[in-house]
Amino acid sequence: MTFYEKELNRINDLIYSNQGQIETVIAVRCYIDNNCDLALNLDFLSHIHFVSKYHLLRLFKRYYGLTPGQYLKGKRIEKSKERLKNGMSVTETCFAVGFESVGSFSTLFKTRTGKSPTQYQKEQLSRSKLNFES
Amino acid sequence: MRVTIISIPVLDQEKALKFYTEKLGFIKKKDKPLGGGNRWLTLVSKEAQDGPELLLEPAPNHFEPSKVYQDALMEAGIPYTQFDVDNVDAEYERLTELGVKFSVKPSTMGTTKYAVFNDTCGNNIELVQEL
Repeated sequence: MTFYEKELNRINDLIYSNQGQIETVIAVRCYIDNNCDLALNLDFLSHIHFVSKYHLLRLFKRYYGLTPGQYLKGKRIEKSKERLKNGMSVTETCFAVGFESVGSFSTLFKTRTGKSPTQYQKEQLSRSKLNFES
Repeated sequence: MRVTIISIPVLDQEKALKFYTEKLGFIKKKDKPLGGGNRWLTLVSKEAQDGPELLLEPAPNHFEPSKVYQDALMEAGIPYTQFDVDNVDAEYERLTELGVKFSVKPSTMGTTKYAVFNDTCGNNIELVQEL
């Protein structure tokens, strides 16, 4: 066994020995992935997974390194990029991926990607046009 | 400041280019001569062509400590670089069929599935899937 494998085993025993917790957070993440366009909140997520709200928040952060809310935002931004690339309008995209206000969607999009949704869409569409022409 | 380059030290740039494009599926982005047969050679992921570039740099051939460090990582089985995939099992099957050698078969640790292969240019590379 290599040094690396020994280290993995050591860390596994130290950090990942609670299989029940791991199954819970994986199920929550999976639920977020499949329903990120819906209005999700911590109360709802904890309710359907039979854990308390703050316990779930702590667990999720512990295993994934960010809170369910932060994870959900990232997922929605990822999905919005796909829709913008396919030519959907900024407003339609905003609601289709689960955001409730175009203003907060645009601000978050710009913070995360460095570009506004409109700029991003223009760049992507002109790029695909170039690819098509070449 | 932005993060745009991830360096991978390789023993042979041409061989690395072949392995990283033909087996792993990356796409060549930049290829500039740097003299003495060395190149500024970068690749991007097919799925995110505007994402960060991988720089295949010939450091181990020119800077002894780089070679020593690379050899020590290889010996210890440590992957210094990792790539995200949607499905570790599927990539393991695909790459194994292409003759890629894995030192760690697909395994699960907590919320992560991973596997480690040899890039034939001196490095262990880890594939990671978040569960």
